[in-house]
Amino acid sequence: MAAERVANLRRAVGALMARSKREVPHYYLSTTIDLGAAMDWMQRANADRPIATRLVTAALLLAASAKAAKEVPDVNGFFVDGAFQPSPAVHLGVAVALRGGGLVAPAIHDADALALDELMERLRDLVARARAGRLQRAEMADPTITVTNLGDLGVETVFGVIYPPQVALVGFGRVVEQPRAVNGMIGVRPTVTATLSADHRASDGLRGGRFLALVDELLQKPEEL
Amino acid sequence: MNEQDARAAVLDAINEVAPDVDTEGLDASSRLRQDLELDSLDFLRLLEVLAQSTGVSTPEDDYADLITVQRLVDYFAARAG
Repeated sequence: MAAERVANLRRAVGALMARSKREVPHYYLSTTIDLGAAMDWMQRANADRPIATRLVTAALLLAASAKAAKEVPDVNGFFVDGAFQPSPAVHLGVAVALRGGGLVAPAIHDADALALDELMERLRDLVARARAGRLQRAEMADPTITVTNLGDLGVETVFGVIYPPQVALVGFGRVVEQPRAVNGMIGVRPTVTATLSADHRASDGLRGGRFLALVDELLQKPEEL
Repeated sequence: MNEQDARAAVLDAINEVAPDVDTEGLDASSRLRQDLELDSLDFLRLLEVLAQSTGVSTPEDDYADLITVQRLVDYFAARAG
């Protein structure tokens, strides 16, 4: 039964991704983001919290992505019937790897408007339900942009494939410590590689670059996420 | 808590968070991330389950040391009453 479910899921993902690679003219951007401020802030926030309400890095990355998507509508919406339709709402798809194989990417609705704690709670709930096979149809159907965070499994950079009819996929890799120059001083900082795969029919590199730059800016002020 | 009880608590928690892992034949040197494929949310859930069963609340500063099943067992054996 479980093997059959995995095989079905694999086929569905395969068909969608084949369509994406066939039809969607992807372009790819990448930037390295200093997470020093975000990690420091999160550590301080978590120090006072019981385990059940602690934050994980992924929640900050998702919050920044959702808020940036709201500001750059060119990457948030659907390409249907030969035209791009930007979405006024940000329903943030979260790629969740299922134990035993397969992938689903259900949405956190109106993710840009959620407080960080609320987003964290939704994330935990969504991942738990995805793994238990208890997602609702609407959650599966309507993400306006998707984020994939493969950092926990150790890779540094994600080269994502867009989920059609969406027009962008944001990827985050592992948080790695790197020597960086900050204000003229070399220091060791936690960094993450953020990538954007986007549909050239809906946006170009300038807008896509603006999106990644905004994600970076937002992560420098984690207290405002 | 002796090591045997700590081991049982850890394996129970792994069972709950990742039911597909065969805890019967689990090598204690297995790494939580790379070998058991627990992500950061799974790890948080694991600590939550262990806090309930052992009464030990793990501060975030200790996360970095808890990378294998055996490290978890040692950690809770040393701290749980």
